[in-house]
Amino acid sequence: MKEKSREARNYRLKSAFTPYGFILPASLTILLLVVYPILYGVYISFFDTNLVNKWNFVGLRYYLRALTDSSFLHSLWKTMVFTVTVVGGHFLFGFIFASILNLKIKFRTLFRGILILPWLFPDVVIAYLFKWILNTQGGIINALLMHYHVVRVPVGWLSTSATALPCVILVSIWKGYPLVMVQILAGIQTVSTEMYEAAKIDGANAWQRFCYITIPALKPILTTILILDTVWVFKQFTLIWLMTSGGPGSSTMVSAIEIYKNAFSYFKYGLASAQSVYVLVICYLIGVVFRRLLRDD
Amino acid sequence: MTKKSKDKLVLTLGYSILIIGCLLVLLPLSWMVITSLKSMADITLSRGLALFPSGPTLENFVNIWKEYPIAAYIKNSVITVGGSTLFSVACAALCGYGVSRYEFKGKEFLLSFLLVTQMFPAVMKIIPYYKILCTVHLNNTRIGLLIVYASFSIPFCTWMMYGYFKSIPTGLDEAARVDGSSAFNTFFKIVLPIAMPGLVATVIYAFLQNWNEYMFASVLMSADEKKTITYAISTMADAYKIQWNYLMCAAIISSMPTLVVFVAMQKYLIAGMTAGAVKE
Repeated sequence: MKEKSREARNYRLKSAFTPYGFILPASLTILLLVVYPILYGVYISFFDTNLVNKWNFVGLRYYLRALTDSSFLHSLWKTMVFTVTVVGGHFLFGFIFASILNLKIKFRTLFRGILILPWLFPDVVIAYLFKWILNTQGGIINALLMHYHVVRVPVGWLSTSATALPCVILVSIWKGYPLVMVQILAGIQTVSTEMYEAAKIDGANAWQRFCYITIPALKPILTTILILDTVWVFKQFTLIWLMTSGGPGSSTMVSAIEIYKNAFSYFKYGLASAQSVYVLVICYLIGVVFRRLLRDD
Repeated sequence: MTKKSKDKLVLTLGYSILIIGCLLVLLPLSWMVITSLKSMADITLSRGLALFPSGPTLENFVNIWKEYPIAAYIKNSVITVGGSTLFSVACAALCGYGVSRYEFKGKEFLLSFLLVTQMFPAVMKIIPYYKILCTVHLNNTRIGLLIVYASFSIPFCTWMMYGYFKSIPTGLDEAARVDGSSAFNTFFKIVLPIAMPGLVATVIYAFLQNWNEYMFASVLMSADEKKTITYAISTMADAYKIQWNYLMCAAIISSMPTLVVFVAMQKYLIAGMTAGAVKE
């Protein structure tokens, strides 16, 4: 009898630890390689440092400076514009394509396969491809425009302030919509067709079915994807860096590039870290706000 | 309008949009292929819109293979990305299963923290990673980058696996546990095989994400023989004069693995996402 109760206690003890056993490897890696670096980054933001032998404590000076620094505020504004348009584009095209792919169409696999393609190419490849397409010397867009006498001299799409940001935005939308499309497509397919049939019988039109069945059913997926896509785009670096490096002037200087330049071109590690903390806080707030707004009531 | 003709209109509109979309995707990509088949003379001297004044050529592919250690770059990428994918998916599957099947202290925190990790600016992590890897003498090593990449993909992969495991009824686990199977065995032998589509979708995601990574490879793998293929492309372009045909060749070569992985596994990807999806 005693033996049995001990066994039961052992079992209970063991099962209390079981979940921690499962989450241990992931948690440990995240702790070491995500939490520690971030804390270290916050630590650096309080110092005027070269990371080797100069460590002067400056308190909150860099945080105050970042707030009054017009180039940083400007980069945040650019990031805002970039994020809103790019995420909007991702969801617009993601929704359109996913809805059509969900109709009874022929060659669905082929269409889907082609539409997913941009997602499969590395950012580096896409950045150089469009740099080449938009190039002033030999770029196909300029060659076509000149051939049909639309323009007389090649347009510097990426070297003119007015066109650089729109170009970068379009390329980012082109590169990123497939992930949203796939997620929405996956979500739509889990909505039972019976609900649509029932709604049809009740006389709901396509738009009403979309608003009252599709959207609510997709809400949980949409919330997560919207948050993730927004913070991913907010932090976009590679595409912009390789296409324009933030230029011309500061027309495509989003905060990720501003911070990168401060750290690795001007070696202002403390300032760059303080600016990163601001970006982190902004991204976190975006997540909180979206969750509040889209919460299931 | 009758219902039938309306349906037809919707379908026609749908096809038109799909075809326009596909063209917008395929035209830029085909320009990449066309450029890679051009000789340098055709690129610098080409007038008008003739595609191949002196005929398409495969010599660019031969030449860059001779001039750059492409094979070594690919090997670096395969080892770091392949290794990190296996490692992170293993961690993510365990963690996702634990979170989906058990109640424990800190579960809610863990789940929301996984989302929060996606918000840390990557730039902020570069400096600490660089310092840490230097301290443990892992900078410029494939294993160093492998661990860093794993830390990038674990959070979202865990989230994906969690979503998938949630969609599998717990009845099976309970039956297995009653039959005396240990917790780990239940996970490994009973639930994991059912979760295969979700697992494959997660593998594809992790592989794509890390294969495409640029910023960290550029800072942490500066030695030429350690470069990953993705980063190596950008250094080819940094040279005095950009040879677009070479660059597009390298671009195609570097994109092949992800295309192959995707084509081979796309059936599972959609199935995996459909059943699990990433939901809260």
